Amino acid sequence: MSPFATVLRKEIADASRDRRTWITALASALLFGPGIVLLIAAFVSDVETRSARREIVVAQRANGPTLVNFLERSGARIVEAPPDFAARIASGELRSAVVAIPADFEARLASGDPAPLQLVYDGTSNPARGTIEASARLLDGFARELALQRMLARGVAAPALSPLRVDRRDLASTRAHGVELLFIIPWAVLMIAAVAALPMAIDVGAGERERGSLEPLLTMPVDAIEIVAGKWLAVTVAAIVVESAMLAAYVVTLRLVSDDRLAALLQFGPREALTCLLVLVPFAAFMSALLMLVGTWGRTFREAQTYASQVVLIVNLVPLLRFFLDARDAAWQLAVPVLGQLVVMMRVLRGEAPGAAGILVPALICAGGTLACLAAQRRLLQSERIVFGRG
Amino acid sequence: MIEVVDVAKTFRVRGRRRDVLAIERITFDAADGRITGLLGPNGAGKTTTMRILATLVQPDAGRARVGGHDVVAEPRRARAALGVLSDARGLYTRLTAEENIGYFARLQRVDDADFRGRLRDLADVLELGPLLGRRVDGFSSGERMKVALARALVHDPQHLILDEPTTGLDVMSTRALRELLRRLRERGKCIVFSTHVMQEVEALCDNIVVVARGRVVAQGDVAALRQSSGAATLEDAFVALTAAPGDGGSAGAAHASPDSA
Repeated sequence: MSPFATVLRKEIADASRDRRTWITALASALLFGPGIVLLIAAFVSDVETRSARREIVVAQRANGPTLVNFLERSGARIVEAPPDFAARIASGELRSAVVAIPADFEARLASGDPAPLQLVYDGTSNPARGTIEASARLLDGFARELALQRMLARGVAAPALSPLRVDRRDLASTRAHGVELLFIIPWAVLMIAAVAALPMAIDVGAGERERGSLEPLLTMPVDAIEIVAGKWLAVTVAAIVVESAMLAAYVVTLRLVSDDRLAALLQFGPREALTCLLVLVPFAAFMSALLMLVGTWGRTFREAQTYASQVVLIVNLVPLLRFFLDARDAAWQLAVPVLGQLVVMMRVLRGEAPGAAGILVPALICAGGTLACLAAQRRLLQSERIVFGRG
Repeated sequence: MIEVVDVAKTFRVRGRRRDVLAIERITFDAADGRITGLLGPNGAGKTTTMRILATLVQPDAGRARVGGHDVVAEPRRARAALGVLSDARGLYTRLTAEENIGYFARLQRVDDADFRGRLRDLADVLELGPLLGRRVDGFSSGERMKVALARALVHDPQHLILDEPTTGLDVMSTRALRELLRRLRERGKCIVFSTHVMQEVEALCDNIVVVARGRVVAQGDVAALRQSSGAATLEDAFVALTAAPGDGGSAGAAHASPDSA
């Protein structure tokens, strides 16, 4: 057996016995991302259900029989708001917008003056968002009906009241809308690639030195690159196993979404998962090599963890930055690790082909980065600072 | 044979104004079929010398050879001819003792059949039998030392470098190790070991190299060192030979061989 295979076999055997780390990594992969996707799906389903029910919460309905009549004719289901509705909205207990009808509402309507109404809500409440729009639409409908009646009474033809007709044409597909919700998938798998590799990457570098097993290893008649390559491949395999588990968990989780319309929105099946895995394998290899190098650079295990966690932080931040800046796809992004993988996976989620450049460019960049890190690690293992620690 | 000729080594340490002189000049030979003791106070340069021989560190000057292979020009050949027990004796705690030893046997290209036979012999000598199938996690320091020693010996190297090999061993294990070293010597192995234990030096060493402040201050067998320092015991001779100039000791580079007694 070659030294490379000997090192690889030993690292895999050693790591496979670290049950605590494996359980933590797999639990994160299986529960974290898919769990959040399920929560998002449940939230979206809840909002859509409320909108579909055309429910409207009204305070002091007795003050506005005209409005109430319109709402009932529109098919809305009127729910009486509690007397302390403002306090309940502020505390989050009431997660819906409330239409508050003042005492002089009917009198003002009859006199032809603008009749005041209040639409009371908490703009920061996500569940309330759908009810705000729905209530506002119903009130707009009431206002249009009133205006139409008044104009007709004055002999003005109905079409004159609507000089403009706006047809909305959304070029984004249903699936593309779902990508906003499924952004969590590429973000989470990129993060898990780094997080899964981290403990093993540090252990095979700084961990060896702190344990006192690095010196004996370096006295073996073996080129340092064989030691480095064996360790790197073991770390990469571990990262890929965890990533694969996460992608499989996403596929299974999204099959549990029972709402048909929602299921059409959130499409991520075996084909999408395999394409994402193809993109992620070179990334996992690069992350493993980079974290090993960073880990070996640290004087102590703790120092190595600090450096390595900065790498994980960057991997975490890049997708979030792109999301909040609403940056669009650009060719140059394929050449930036993390960003390139994110761009391609978002294409896959939108139902678009990743393209040859989408597969090859990020893979080649990661391959180059991997080789550079392995070469640097080899040099590091041949330097005295590794034996004596950084002085 | 191990040859060290005019080896020097200085370490650059960041944050210090002056570099650290670890070895000023060391020269000695360790012949096959002999046990050579490296004796010296803390910081004398023993461990650095051993690390140079183990190819972990490169000398700034001079040369060192293991079995005729220069440690700088042919490091892998030198390592293949060497068994090293350094002061870094870490083991892989999730692996068994046998797996730890087997890992290094494979890296030394010992085939499985030979490994089985050698492991059996080492287990007998070092009383490792009951430990082989157990994970190293939870071993005492003495048990870890035995595994580390077995790891250094598993490929039956012609040359052995042992840094304080009896640390952590109980009396019976220490005696067994001494017996092992004697047997290896009889088989023509070249053994260099460093120790602070005078009793071990007296019991085992054919040649003693006394190192202090980065230089060899004396060489020879026990009788020659006592004679050259005028001391009654080896310990007194050691103290006298390693005393700094001005401390009242004879710190000249005395080189006494058994033939010149």
